[in-house]
This record gives sequence, structure tokens and C-alpha cells, in this order.
Amino acid sequence: MANTGEVMVEAKGLVKNFGPLRAVDDFSISIKPGETLGLLGPNGAGKSTTIGMMVGLIRPDSGSVNIGSSSKPGDRTANETIGQPSQPAVRKRIGVAPQALSLYEELSAKENLEFFAKLYNLRGAKLSERVNWALDFSGLQDRKRDLVGKFSGGMKRRMNIAVALIHEPEVLLLDEPTVGVDPQSRNHIFESIEQLQSAGLTILYTTHYMEEAQRLCDRVAIMDQGKLLAVDTVDGLLSAYGGKSIVTAELKAGSSTDNLPGTFAENKIRFESDKPLDDVAQLSGRGVNFQTLHIAQADLESVFLSLTGRSLRD
Amino acid sequence: MQRILDMAIKDLRVLSRDLLGAFFIVGFPILMGLFFGSMMGGIGGDSDSTSKMQLAVVDLDNSEMSAKFISALGENQNLELIPGELEPSKEKVRKGSLVGVLVLAEDFGDSVGLFWDEPPEIQLGMDPSRGAESAMIQGFVMQSVGAMASERFADPNEFRNVITDAKTEIKNDQDMSFLNRQLQSAFLNSVEGMIDSVEKMQTADADPDGETDDAVISGGNFEFAKITSLDITRNTESSDTPSKKVNLRSKWDISFPQAMLWGVLGCIAGFSASIAREKTQGTMMRLQVAPVSKFDVVAGKGLACFIAVIFVVALMTALGMALGMRPGSYLNLGIATVSVGFCFVGLMILLSTVGKTEQSVNSVVWMCNMVMAMIGGCMIPVAFMSGFIRQLSFLSPVRWAIVAIEGAIWRDFSLAEMVFPCSILLGVGAVSIVLGSVLLSRKLG
Repeated sequence: MANTGEVMVEAKGLVKNFGPLRAVDDFSISIKPGETLGLLGPNGAGKSTTIGMMVGLIRPDSGSVNIGSSSKPGDRTANETIGQPSQPAVRKRIGVAPQALSLYEELSAKENLEFFAKLYNLRGAKLSERVNWALDFSGLQDRKRDLVGKFSGGMKRRMNIAVALIHEPEVLLLDEPTVGVDPQSRNHIFESIEQLQSAGLTILYTTHYMEEAQRLCDRVAIMDQGKLLAVDTVDGLLSAYGGKSIVTAELKAGSSTDNLPGTFAENKIRFESDKPLDDVAQLSGRGVNFQTLHIAQADLESVFLSLTGRSLRD
Repeated sequence: MQRILDMAIKDLRVLSRDLLGAFFIVGFPILMGLFFGSMMGGIGGDSDSTSKMQLAVVDLDNSEMSAKFISALGENQNLELIPGELEPSKEKVRKGSLVGVLVLAEDFGDSVGLFWDEPPEIQLGMDPSRGAESAMIQGFVMQSVGAMASERFADPNEFRNVITDAKTEIKNDQDMSFLNRQLQSAFLNSVEGMIDSVEKMQTADADPDGETDDAVISGGNFEFAKITSLDITRNTESSDTPSKKVNLRSKWDISFPQAMLWGVLGCIAGFSASIAREKTQGTMMRLQVAPVSKFDVVAGKGLACFIAVIFVVALMTALGMALGMRPGSYLNLGIATVSVGFCFVGLMILLSTVGKTEQSVNSVVWMCNMVMAMIGGCMIPVAFMSGFIRQLSFLSPVRWAIVAIEGAIWRDFSLAEMVFPCSILLGVGAVSIVLGSVLLSRKLG
């Protein structure tokens, strides 16, 4: 659960152009310690560019990113770890799982983890401890000696996240971590992320799958064509932009049809409602008998539709 | 430094698991070495050179006959004779500047072209890498010595004087047996008679071409000249064991430096592409996100490539030695190897910047490798190239690498002589590293 008051990641007025294309346009956001922020948008919305700027890999044309004070008690006064992620000391506090699988396929799972851990100066017992933790975390302990090139897509994705966590970062940036994985691995990834949330990690999670954002994120930022359109909790977004729920039902023969809301034809009723369950209960009390009933609640898809006029998957 | 070492170890581990890459670095060069070595082991080979063979001639006799011999040999369209002193000429052959050196002994003029005397001794020292041309040059020499015999007949009066001197010598020789004296005198009388016949034929405007000359050259059971081998490379000590002497000038001495270079070229191709692969597979992003500088990334690749080059040269040396190769100086070989490694690490970094994808880098690097190898003498010995290409070959680092390694293995370069090729290699390496690092740094963003 997110802490309040402090800011772990803060982006202000980020702008990035690639030639004539404005990939990110005046993007500002702040993430609290322990919070999971979802960055939701279609392919090409500018999510990966934003991630690149947040880890200091891409220099913004204007604007800035700051990583705030450490959530670790011992690091609070370590000013050198606060600031822009282009500084190596600050970058150490960030873990990144890029959208492209960033692993050496010719190395085993253990060798990959050891190599990246050593880049963060982990040695000796600490190195072994972290490598074992990462293997357990990814569920690959029994495959640790196998070459990554022989892993399934889902196993590689899990490995990709484990490598990002090998140096115990405080901020984790996950760029489309479930692209191309089977349902079983996707579930494993969700459970892993929930485990990290419980441990208090600050997470920025980019996806174009709304169900992932709804399940995992404390807040969701909706992005399209480089612009940040809205940021709020899922409920807040649904309430503000989701519109009404749609109720469709088929009535039993002999059911009352007096004063039905919406449209009624061929024994079927369809109406919009802010409180669909209350309205259905009220109709039932008035002698309306339902043969079938379907309530289509507003979701992030409809939020996106409402904000952009097009579907998330267009 | 620890990070650079970690990255180098990772790269070597990745390389060792790439079977195709490992083949080009180790397997292919071994095959090349064995192939060329086997070719050189033979005596033959088509020596259809596209330019004249430059042969040093040391005339210790300085007689009229030796001058005529040199003139006759110089008329051969396949040879360019370079007059000189013995040691400087041997030095030039040893360094590969000349194909060989021909030494005419002090008494050359006294005995050349005479049938009854001991044949003149001619020493021929050949560049061991030019074995194919050795037999050809011996043939040219014999042909010219034959021409000297013909020359003796060209002036009958002078030849009569020689015969008269010889008769007097036989007459005054008290140690000679009676029978021997009679036989030799009879032979000289018959030669004198033959001269008279030749003179009559010449007076009668007989055709002097063709059969007459050929008969003189090829007829009879005598030797025109005794050609002995002159070792232009290594001075063997009398205390050397027979096995060591046998192993000197192994054919593998010649073929393995080339093979080593093929391994080195395989290394730079493998590591150049690995930088592009890091980008395309996304691991470069992870390296950049980690607290690792661009210098660490480039230095890690460079160190891995350098270690691979050292490994290849060491492996090829060990294999060559197992076959009979004997490096002249291990110190020089070490210096050459380090220089070659430094040079080609620089080229690797520079070439890694030329393409965006692994495939494009691979294509460009192998194209550059082939050009460097072709004009540098990795495929066809430089000696067989035309003058223009031979000049062009000085632009190829492969040429200097081969010179440095050959200098250490069989050209017996002194430390001072190693300085020049090694300095060129180090210079090319330094420039390439600086230029490549700047370009790569920009490319990585």
C-alpha cells in the first residue's frame, strides 16, 4: 500500500521529440513510495520513451526526472542517491525490466543473474544470497543451470524481472512485462508483482492490458500520443470517465412490463444506469421477472474510449 | 577494473558457447594453416608470378666471366637482379624484401663453363616462404651457367689459351698418374679439335642457333654448377641437436602466421557483432541502466577480444610446435602477439560502429576482413602480387601483423627489427581505439 506525503519518483514537464515526431509531450507525474502506478496506453503512446527518460537512458528535450529520498531508513540522509537518474548512484536504486527480453541467451539463468549482480558490486555471500533469492522469486531454481535460450517465453519474462530485482532496487520499472506469455506465466508474474507490492517496492508498470492495470495498480495514468490524459485510482477514473453501466435482460413470459426504463422490444429490455444493481432490484420488486440478465459495467476500456474517442486496442 | 573483467569474462563465456563463432576463431584458422602448410611442403606450385622475382646477386669473384654470367642471368624476363653485399642482401631476403640471394664464389670465373674442372659453387639462399620459386631460380641459374660454356666457345682463341694453360697444368702435375694424364690430355686435344670445327662452322656462316648450343648445354655427363643452399635465416649452432636442426624451417613456420591471422580476424568479427547484438537483444540497455560507464562497456569488449586473440595465437603456436614449428624468439612472439592484439582490438571497436544490426555489422566486418586479408598476404603470399597490390598491402594491418609474427617465428628479427612493424600495429590500434570509442560512445547515446 502506498505511503502518503513523500514522493519517490517525480517527472516534471517531460518532452521528447524524435525528429518531427513528439513522442512525449509535457508529461508530469509523481509516484509515492510503495505505490504501483500503471501507465496505460496503446502501442506507440510514448510509454517506453517515458520509461527511458525515467531511468536516465533517454535525455529529455525539456523537463526533469527526480528520484526522491530513500525509503530505506539508513539511506535517508544519503543525498548522493537523490536526484536525476542519469547519476549512477541514483540509478542504482532503480531496477528495469525492459519490454525486450534483455538477457544473454548463451548464459544460464544463474550466470545471467551473477553477471548483472556483479555490475552492482555484489560479491561473495551477498551475491549468492541474492542470486538464490532471484531464482526462487522467478521459480527457476530447478532450471538455474539451463541456458536462457532454452527457456519458454514465460520463463524468460520471469527471468527478465528477476534480473531487474537482483540488486534490491527501491523503484521497479516494468515495461509491458506480460507481452507474449502464456496464462500460467502471466499469473506467476502477477503473483510476483503482488509479492513485491507487499514488500513496499515502488512500481511503475506500463501495459496496454487494462485488466492488468485494474488488478495491480493503485493508480492508473492514461497516456496517448505522448500526452498524459488522466491520472487517478481505477475507481476514480471509472467514476469520472467510465460512463454508466448498461443493463440488458430478457423477461419471462407474463412478466410485468409497466414503466420499464430504456428500450423494450421483443421481450428484451436495455437501459443505462449509475447504480445497475439497485435498479435491477427495484424492477424485480415491481414484478419484473428476468429470464436472463447482463450488466456491462464501465471499465478502463470505456475510460480510454471516453478520453480519446477510440479503443485502447486500435 | 573489476567490472571490465566481469564483462570480459561474460563475453568470453558467450563466445565459447557460440559454436559457429568458435569455429571461425579456432577451427577455420587451423584448417587454413594445415592447408597452406601442406601446399608449401611440396616443391611444386605454379610460380606464374605477375611480377619479376627480385634476386640479390653477390659477386665475390668480380671477374669477366662472373660479370658475363650476371648479364646472362639478368636477361631472364622473370628475374630482376639486385647487386649487393652478402650480409645486407641476406638481411633483405630474411625480411622478405627479396626473393633470394645468389652468391658467386671467388673462383667462379675460373671454372664456370669448363667441362674438365670442378663445377663452380653457387650459393642460393631463398626466402623460405618462396619455396615454389626456388626450383625455378635454380633452373635459370643452370641455364645461364650453360650459356657461360657456350661463351667459352664464342672466342676460340681465348678458349685455346685456356686449354693450353690446362695442358701445362696437367704436364706439371707430378702427383697425377700416367694413365690419368694421358686421358685428360686426350680429352683436351679432342676439345681443341672441336673448337677448330666450331671455328670452321662459324667462318662458313653456319647457323649458330638451336642444336649446337643445346648440345653444349645438355650434352655430356658433367655438372654445369654446384648449387648449394645458403641459410639466410637462422644461424644454427654446432651444438644444436639433429632434431632441432631438422625442425628448423618447417613448412608450418610459414603457414601458421597466416593461420593465426585468420583466427585474429575471426575474433574481431565475433566481438564487433557482439556489440550490435547487445543492442538488438536489449542487454545494452541493462548495462547502461546499471552503474556502468560507456568506457567500462567498451573496455570489457576490448579486453575480451584481446584475451581471445592471445588465446588464438597461443593455441596456434602450440599446434604449430606439435607439428614441428619452432619460434625463433618467444619474447618477440610475445611482443608481436600483444601488438597484434592491440591493433585488432582497436579495429574491432571501430568496425563495431559501422552497422546497426548484428547482420549488418557482420557483413561489413567480414568484407573488411577479406580485403585486409587479401591484400595483406593472408590468402596469397604478398610475393605473388603485382607491384601495385604489393605496395597497397602496406596499408593492410594484416601485412604488418604477419611480418611481426614471422619476424618472431622464422625471420629471426632482433628486438630493434621488431619495433617497426609493432609500432605500426600499435599506432593503428591506438587510432582505431580512440576513433572507435568516440563513435561507439555517440552511438550508444
